Amino acid sequence: MTESAAAGIHPQATAASAPIAPTKIQVRDLHFYYNGFHALKGINMDIPEKKVTAIIGPSGCGKSTLLRIFNRIYAIYPKLEAKGEIILDEENILDTRYSMNKLRSKVGMVFQKPVPFPMTIFENVAYGIRHHERLSRADMDIRVEQALRSAALWDEVKDKLKQNALGLSGGQQQRLCIARGIALKPEVLLLDEPTSALDPIATSRIEQLVEELKSEYTIVIVTHNMQQAARCSDLTAFMYLGELIEFDRTEQIFTKPSKKQTEDYITGRFG
Amino acid sequence: MNNDTLYLRRRITNALALGLSTFATLIGLAFLAWILWETLRQGVSAINLNLFTKITAYGEDGGLLNAMVGSLVINFIGIGIATPIGVLAGTWLAEYANRTKLGETIRFLNDILLSAPSIVLGMFVYTIVVLPSKTLTDGSTTYSGLAGGIALALIALPVIVRTTDEMLRLVPSTLREAALSLGVPQWKLTMQVLMRSARSGIITGILLALARISGETAPLLFTAFGNLYTTVNPMDKMASLPQVIYEYANQAGDSIHALAWAGAFIITMFVLILSLLARLILSRNKVSHD
Repeated sequence: MTESAAAGIHPQATAASAPIAPTKIQVRDLHFYYNGFHALKGINMDIPEKKVTAIIGPSGCGKSTLLRIFNRIYAIYPKLEAKGEIILDEENILDTRYSMNKLRSKVGMVFQKPVPFPMTIFENVAYGIRHHERLSRADMDIRVEQALRSAALWDEVKDKLKQNALGLSGGQQQRLCIARGIALKPEVLLLDEPTSALDPIATSRIEQLVEELKSEYTIVIVTHNMQQAARCSDLTAFMYLGELIEFDRTEQIFTKPSKKQTEDYITGRFG
Repeated sequence: MNNDTLYLRRRITNALALGLSTFATLIGLAFLAWILWETLRQGVSAINLNLFTKITAYGEDGGLLNAMVGSLVINFIGIGIATPIGVLAGTWLAEYANRTKLGETIRFLNDILLSAPSIVLGMFVYTIVVLPSKTLTDGSTTYSGLAGGIALALIALPVIVRTTDEMLRLVPSTLREAALSLGVPQWKLTMQVLMRSARSGIITGILLALARISGETAPLLFTAFGNLYTTVNPMDKMASLPQVIYEYANQAGDSIHALAWAGAFIITMFVLILSLLARLILSRNKVSHD
């Protein structure tokens, strides 16, 4: 192992830049295996608190895989294995003793396709809260409203909270999923290509929302859209074939990347 | 090749395929219409108030009241037993044992049960229910509506297991991931999210299973046996429509035959209505996840 790999890739350690923010998630020598296939090969990175970190790279580079380890959602499938450490607030979440309930309430996730539950709009948001907290009716109403407001959806749905969520448009459904995630008051929000199934207008609303949410949450967003990464992230990680090639401030990555592979990718020479 | 001839060839192929599939559909529909028409035509002389108010004890002057009541009771018992077991087993297969060796084995065995000849299931129930109850009750209870219901439950069970399993596996895995990523435990996810998504499909499966068992004759001959009088006591011997049709068809006499035809018409209509109901439920609640 090289010295820089052992120490991790610290974006704030880059000579040109001052420290960005305290570290929220430390990834240490992370390896991942799909049924024996080596999908992530020794990832080291420090994700700063209350910033937007984008992960880009060509299809199959492992960016979604990496994101799906941060809340251990991969663990619901057999034959998947993660080795290494992911330190969230000084505790290793890959430790089997780490409580899944605690992890899932601290780390929220929004998926590629909007997946509202087959329930009312209100219930979609209240459903997750109910599992973690016992709230009075009035408190629950407030919590649901707060979450919908934070997800910039309240004005559109306040008069139809009792309607089925499947009647909403795709963009509204995705904001509902974000509301559902932030209703649990997580600290980290994982977004897995959250706009890839949405039209441009809905996409820009989500991007705007990401901008607003970063004052409260540490956000990690996987995207195949480089403009999106450039527009709404503070830091960008470029991955290729299961390795983290470069991780730096977004403007650095998109203007003066230090690795040839990164430059080739962002200029569209492959990927 | 010339474009015009290419397009012409495609149009001809298209018309041919469309024509053949339309023809095949019409054949299927024609037989259904024919069956309905024939049962109605042959049974029309027996379709009157007596059919629904009189029992088979009156023979050709009677009706089918006891058989209809018996069929309802036996089908109800059958579906009542098969539904909870089938839905739970299907849920287990789809949610807990999917892609495991044990799950695959049980799914395979369920498919075998699905195609098991119903007479075999009837004999099985005769051996494990009818004969022991004879011994236990000193001969006062032998054949019974309950035994008939159990036999029909064994026929309905694999249908319900299979549809539940398939409907749950159709629910996109992202819905599972979304719920689990909120920290919701598996059982809550299954009961509150997945079941809700798959509900209309599962209900459809239950209705189709009911349609399937309502025409079964062979397993009832050894189990419910038949009864000339109306009874709703599941411990009694019980008449049922298919069994009465079977017996009347073997007797001589035009009016007895007309009664059998009328019974056949009622069953066919019942099955048709159930199937339409199943379709209606499925199309009304169709939830698109893509």
